[in-house]
Amino acid sequence: MLESRRKSMALFITLGASLILVILILYIGWVLLNWRNGILLFLGVLMLAFIITGVVLNTIFLVREIRRNEQHDAFINAVTHELKTPVASIRLYLETLQTRAVDEAKRAEFYRIMLADSDRLLATIEQVLRTGRMGQSGPKLNLTNIEINALVEECLERARQLHHVPERALEYSPGPPVTILGDLDDVRAAVANLIDNAVKYSGSTAKIVVETAVVDDTFVTLRVRDQGPGLEKSELKRVFKRFYRVQGQLAARVKGTGLGLYIVRAVAKQHGGRAWAESEGPGHGSTFVLQLPRVR
Amino acid sequence: MRRVLIVEDEHHLADGLRFNLEAEDYQVHVVDTGEAALELLLAPSPPFDVVMLDVMLPGIDGFTVIGELRQKGQFIPTLMLTARNHPDDVLRGFTAGADDYLTKPFELAMLLARLRSLLRRNEWLLAAAASPAATDDAASQPPDSYAFGEISVDFDRLELCVRGKVFPLTLMEANLLRYLIAHEGKPVSRKAMLEDVWGLHEDTDTRAIDNFIVRLRRYIEDDPTTPRHLLTVRGVGYRFVAAPE
Repeated sequence: MLESRRKSMALFITLGASLILVILILYIGWVLLNWRNGILLFLGVLMLAFIITGVVLNTIFLVREIRRNEQHDAFINAVTHELKTPVASIRLYLETLQTRAVDEAKRAEFYRIMLADSDRLLATIEQVLRTGRMGQSGPKLNLTNIEINALVEECLERARQLHHVPERALEYSPGPPVTILGDLDDVRAAVANLIDNAVKYSGSTAKIVVETAVVDDTFVTLRVRDQGPGLEKSELKRVFKRFYRVQGQLAARVKGTGLGLYIVRAVAKQHGGRAWAESEGPGHGSTFVLQLPRVR
Repeated sequence: MRRVLIVEDEHHLADGLRFNLEAEDYQVHVVDTGEAALELLLAPSPPFDVVMLDVMLPGIDGFTVIGELRQKGQFIPTLMLTARNHPDDVLRGFTAGADDYLTKPFELAMLLARLRSLLRRNEWLLAAAASPAATDDAASQPPDSYAFGEISVDFDRLELCVRGKVFPLTLMEANLLRYLIAHEGKPVSRKAMLEDVWGLHEDTDTRAIDNFIVRLRRYIEDDPTTPRHLLTVRGVGYRFVAAPE
């Protein structure tokens, strides 16, 4: 399906490009034949510029729309998978417990698995709902004072438990104690998303450094540095777009909805801060930064 | 023991399936990528009877895996198990060569029944291919008729002739009778009859056999209440005796 759509996309791009080419040839030919009729020539130039701009804009719009559609399809597939897989798993274990004789140790293991799956399910649901809320105009923030170091500690602890990461794989060097004014749920979600991503994309050899620091006395930055696969320059901005997921082998290996970083950036904007990514290129790891204004 | 290959990258699901299938006496092997599945299944004589294949796998997806298997002549029965339930996806699975398609979440009983059905179909096909009846060699074919006492059976025409009277038999009655005759003199368990004649397994009610025996006795026996040919073996099943003393 994807391939056929790519083909049709290529067709339209080629069509647009060849149209522009034809117009240029016609125009140059016309100029060579009628260079004397000055005013007509001038009008012609204007008209032509107008037409070319129209065609170019049209082509750009078309390409964008198709890309968005593709991403939307991929998103629906990913969310379907993320919602149904844990349900399937929980259901399977419940049916097993209902129909078979299961010894005590196995029973305990099954309960643990079911709890983990329900957590995963809840996380996906919350992410989708949060994205829905972000899309609404004039979101109401429930502002409180947040001590950023404590929040990061809390998120790290949660990530360690959730992904079974050893203590030293997730290193934290806290800066001076800083308070920000923000919506606790949203800021927590943003911080957790950054840490989760670092763990998920690092694979089994996770070595992640999280640090907070104060910049210019006005901002506090949270940097999450991983030694994962790194990012191309062209991807550094795109990864924050809604539904966008890095292409290639890795994206298929790591399950996700394409919403995590979108939420991070949206939360940053809502709180008057910003979020960005840094990477020296593929294979060199990447650093994600969340910058929020501090309360003085 | 039947051998299942599970291709599933969600470890919780794979572990749950393994537990259940092992409880059902299957031998289970789990891999978590399409590449690993292809490597195992395209090796000469892979040690599996049936495959459960997920679609969304890291690396190559399940559709590609099944397509490649079929293209390379690996026709092992395959059940696709996936969260994608859009008709396009289901059709794509079947077009690629899947034998059955089940969407997550699924009912355990349904999954087990489908797995059994796939295996049964395959066993029937293998049996048909191996049985001499399928070949041209007329001499080695099983007898189309059998006679004992004053009774004769024509398996071809599904007819039973008892002391000059002709009774029509249903296909299953004829098959059951043929099976009992083949084991003449030996006790045959209800379970064996269900498995070998009906191709069914386990939880089917084995009492279903008894109704067939009652009917056969009505045809064959002088006095169905004191049978001489179709004897009950208590706690086991039945025994056919061609020439009772």
